[in-house]
Amino acid sequence: MSEVFEGYERQYCELSANLSRKCNSASVIHDSEQKKQKLSEISSGIDEADVLIRKMDLEARSLQPGVKATLLAKLREYKADLNKLKKEFKRISSPNAHDELLESGMADVHSVSAEQRDRLSMSVERLNQSSDRIKESRRTVLETEELGISILEDLHQQRQTLLHAHNKLYDVDSAIDKSKKVLTTMSRRITKNKWIAGSVIVALVLAIVLILYYKISHR
Amino acid sequence: MGDQLGRGEEFVKKAEKKLKGWGLFGSKYEDAADLFDKAANCFKLAKSWDKAGSTYVKLVNCYLKSESKHEAAQAYVNAAQCYKKTATKEAISCLQQAVNLFCDIGRLSMVARYYKEIAELYESEQNIEQAMDYFEKAADFFQNEDVSSSANQCKLKVAQFAAQIEQYQKAIEIYEEIARQSLTNNLLKYGVKGHLLNAGICQLCKSDVVAITNALERYQDLDPTFSGTREYRLLADIASAIDEEDVTKFTEVVKEFDSMTPLDSWKTTLLLRVKDRLKAKELEEDDLT
Repeated sequence: MSEVFEGYERQYCELSANLSRKCNSASVIHDSEQKKQKLSEISSGIDEADVLIRKMDLEARSLQPGVKATLLAKLREYKADLNKLKKEFKRISSPNAHDELLESGMADVHSVSAEQRDRLSMSVERLNQSSDRIKESRRTVLETEELGISILEDLHQQRQTLLHAHNKLYDVDSAIDKSKKVLTTMSRRITKNKWIAGSVIVALVLAIVLILYYKISHR
Repeated sequence: MGDQLGRGEEFVKKAEKKLKGWGLFGSKYEDAADLFDKAANCFKLAKSWDKAGSTYVKLVNCYLKSESKHEAAQAYVNAAQCYKKTATKEAISCLQQAVNLFCDIGRLSMVARYYKEIAELYESEQNIEQAMDYFEKAADFFQNEDVSSSANQCKLKVAQFAAQIEQYQKAIEIYEEIARQSLTNNLLKYGVKGHLLNAGICQLCKSDVVAITNALERYQDLDPTFSGTREYRLLADIASAIDEEDVTKFTEVVKEFDSMTPLDSWKTTLLLRVKDRLKAKELEEDDLT
């Protein structure tokens, strides 16, 4: 028995969804002809919904008391829903200065959304650009870091070379001292040899002179 | 510069005459050496490097006969520099002989420096094994002379070549050693992450997954700041990509790192090897399934 009720229920749900959609679209339309057409559609829809609800009511009352309670509760919900739709319909159908005042902002909904889309794409564009720039600067920073590392390595090497040269210079210093001593010894020996050679020559010459003198004096 | 050539030839002739003839007080070798030197200079001015090189070699003989090894070694070095411009093999042999003479004299720092030059010549000839050999010798000598920065430089080259010819363990050890040494030095500590990255890439080429995770932990212990760096993240991501055998993830990770700092050719070659192995493994799995 409740299958019939469920069938009515389904029909009602479809109808109410349809009607609410039509109400929304009708509130946007300003062309009076189309509006009137839509409004007539909606009113016929509402009448149908009314009929469905009355049928559902009869069905529900003819059933068992337990099932009846749940079904009646559902029915109350649907009635409230239908009343809301009716109120909506009334609001739309009566041209209201109040409504027009409030609606003026929503005049070109489509153009407004186009504007919003443009603004969105521009801001997305700008965000992308800034993220690109950030990536580029990060790349530069990393390059600079690598350069810095290689410079530090060079400095380290140069430091070692300098320290090495510094130590070597101490060695050079002591070597120079030694060579100075050697050279002074050499020069002393040379003068000594000169004197010795000189004195030997003098002695020889003296000897020759003496011998000649003796030879001549004994003749 | 034609007259330079002529003058050079003149000097050479004079010197050889001196050598053949008698000399006073046996100083003929020094005189001849002097003349040879002038001749070689003229040839250098005339840009005939071969003649200059050969003249320097003759010069060496004179010096050797007159027992001045240091001069002889220096002459060998000059000869090598001339030959460098024409025939690298000759240059290498001259440098080798120079090195021997310096060893005899005991000037080990010059030995180290010339070993490094020989290694660089081999490198330019793409003879990687010899180059590696000589860089190692140079690093040894530098270490003996306590010039640790040059020693480290040579060792880095050794590691680079070792990785190129797939001697990964050696490369890994060298990189880790250098990283450990650099940590204590204020100037070098910023280069540590570069060395650890190289070591990590070699580990990946060895493709031993357990070792990689152990190594990453070790590196974190060594340098607490390493785990925050991009290098560490790259290594960890590649390790997980290898675990999951996902080539696309690997390529993504590498591309991301490359977009920030371009990878040099050594790293690219090694990473390519890892990728090929990964792909091969993936294909293998597909075949089996």
